[in-house]
Amino acid sequence: MKKSIYYSLLISAMISVSVAEETRQVDKHEHGVGVLNIATEGNSINFEFMIPGADIVGFEYEAKSDSDIALVNAALTKFEQTDNIFIIPSPSNCALVDSKIKIDQGEEHDDHDEHDDHDEHDDHDEHDEEAHNEFVAHYSFNCGNVKEIDRIDFTYFNTFPNSGELEVQFVSGVGSTSFEVEGDKPFIDLKGKI
Amino acid sequence: MLLKLSFNSLYARLLTVGMTVLAISFSLMLYMSVEKLRTSAYTSFTDTISQTDLIVGARASSVQLMLYSVFRIGNATNNITWESYQDILNKDEVDWAVPISLGDSHKGFRVMGTTEEFFTRYKYRGGQSINIKKGHLFDDLYDVVLGAGVAEKLQYDINTPLIVSHGLQSFSDHDDQPFKVSGILEKTGTPVDNTVIVSLAAIEAIHVDWSTGAKIPGQETPIEEIRKMDLSPKNITAALLGVKSKLTIFNLQRWINNYPEEAMTAILPGAALQELWRVVGVVENLLLGISVVVIFTTLIGMTAIMFSSLSERRREMAIWRAMGASPLTIVGLLMLEAIFISLISIILSLVLLFASLSVLQPWIDYNYGILVNIEMLSINDIYVFVLFIFASMLISLLPALRAYWFSINDGMTIKI
Repeated sequence: MKKSIYYSLLISAMISVSVAEETRQVDKHEHGVGVLNIATEGNSINFEFMIPGADIVGFEYEAKSDSDIALVNAALTKFEQTDNIFIIPSPSNCALVDSKIKIDQGEEHDDHDEHDDHDEHDDHDEHDEEAHNEFVAHYSFNCGNVKEIDRIDFTYFNTFPNSGELEVQFVSGVGSTSFEVEGDKPFIDLKGKI
Repeated sequence: MLLKLSFNSLYARLLTVGMTVLAISFSLMLYMSVEKLRTSAYTSFTDTISQTDLIVGARASSVQLMLYSVFRIGNATNNITWESYQDILNKDEVDWAVPISLGDSHKGFRVMGTTEEFFTRYKYRGGQSINIKKGHLFDDLYDVVLGAGVAEKLQYDINTPLIVSHGLQSFSDHDDQPFKVSGILEKTGTPVDNTVIVSLAAIEAIHVDWSTGAKIPGQETPIEEIRKMDLSPKNITAALLGVKSKLTIFNLQRWINNYPEEAMTAILPGAALQELWRVVGVVENLLLGISVVVIFTTLIGMTAIMFSSLSERRREMAIWRAMGASPLTIVGLLMLEAIFISLISIILSLVLLFASLSVLQPWIDYNYGILVNIEMLSINDIYVFVLFIFASMLISLLPALRAYWFSINDGMTIKI
């Protein structure tokens, strides 16, 4: 936590040097806290995970060494199997129709090209080192009956032993709610919420 | 036979037993009222806003944003500009939006500027709409619509003139531009009851001669001139949004949170409420814990009284033994006594609870906006009662065993 504040201060300092005229804002980034958004409408249910790299592979710089690349690839493969991440009750008959898994380099990466134009921007490499990789996974399901989903279990905590908590936002026709899920109670109760 | 005996024995000691029953009933009532208030407060809170998908305000914590925009508790960190609001409105995902503008007050009630759409879009308690009880919505620039609570407490009726004060606790009034009541809303049990609602244009109008929080001295634009001015708002405090598809909520939320031109926060009202409740939950559990401890204390008190009465009742025991009661029967008698006491206490506590709730309900509603639902018992309550009876049985084993020992030793003669 302390470390992440330090990181974000450092990044904001660096960004402010390079893009002085632009608006300055940095996303919060907290190790040990992954974000999950779940939305459901009709017979669709969507999941989007945004998990800090530290929670998945233990580091957040861009993987360059062979061992790091292997770690990242292994993690990405795990994300491809939804059973490794979460389990939807089978009576709901949900089938995965779409999924997107990628590594997000964080906001500072977006201005990257712009940085390249500046000759004086020597600390480029350093910038990369400080990047905060985030694993982003989107899953869309089509279900026989979404109302049968009364809970969702998270195998995520077992799959990634480094993981901390998940902050879950949930929305359906009934309304919205939120959960904080941790490894010792790795599920959310959705009775009456869909 | 045993039942009758133990009942009569209790009846013979009416005063001490009565005091014990009273103590236990009060502790049970304390526990149940904490529990009732807890669940009622939760439903009151969660029922306050429904069918609003996102609330947008200046960058703030989600709980803070919800508290000031929906519950009118605390203040906004900043306003958001009308341009940013228009940008949000132009997003494809947005179905409808209602802007609200806060910051002024009338006799301690918050004044909220909004559009007429507020009255159709704002829903509470699972989709109920606000209804107008008397009068009509804004016809004129200086029309106000009052929440039911405001009208009741200030004894206002249609056409009552009123003056809006600048800020929440200030002595400067917008007295150059008086309003009049055009409509009164039906009671909703939400913070809308305690809100004075005006149009967004009216909020602009009353601040025409004001700059940076103070009235420009000597400058007073006549009302007729103000009416002709362009009163489109320059900024708003927050906005309620509805989306076309729930599946796009998070995209829109992310877009708003990352909007580069202005620092804004979009929250899901239910999610923010839940977050708040996790904080409040600690206090709740504390209260619940205290009332459980109180119940235990009275249980121990009951045992103490049974113990002290044992020595007085050695003669009674001896007579029972003489009548042919076995020592085990005496144990049974004492346990029955405990069950009787707890049963009577439970019934008395329920009577006390419902009596006090029906007296206090209007007062709690009036002062705190929490509608305590006086309904029959939940399964949870019954579970607690059964547990309580078991606990009292268990704890009565102590004096019962002592009585058993006495009766074996004493037989029919008492050696003191």
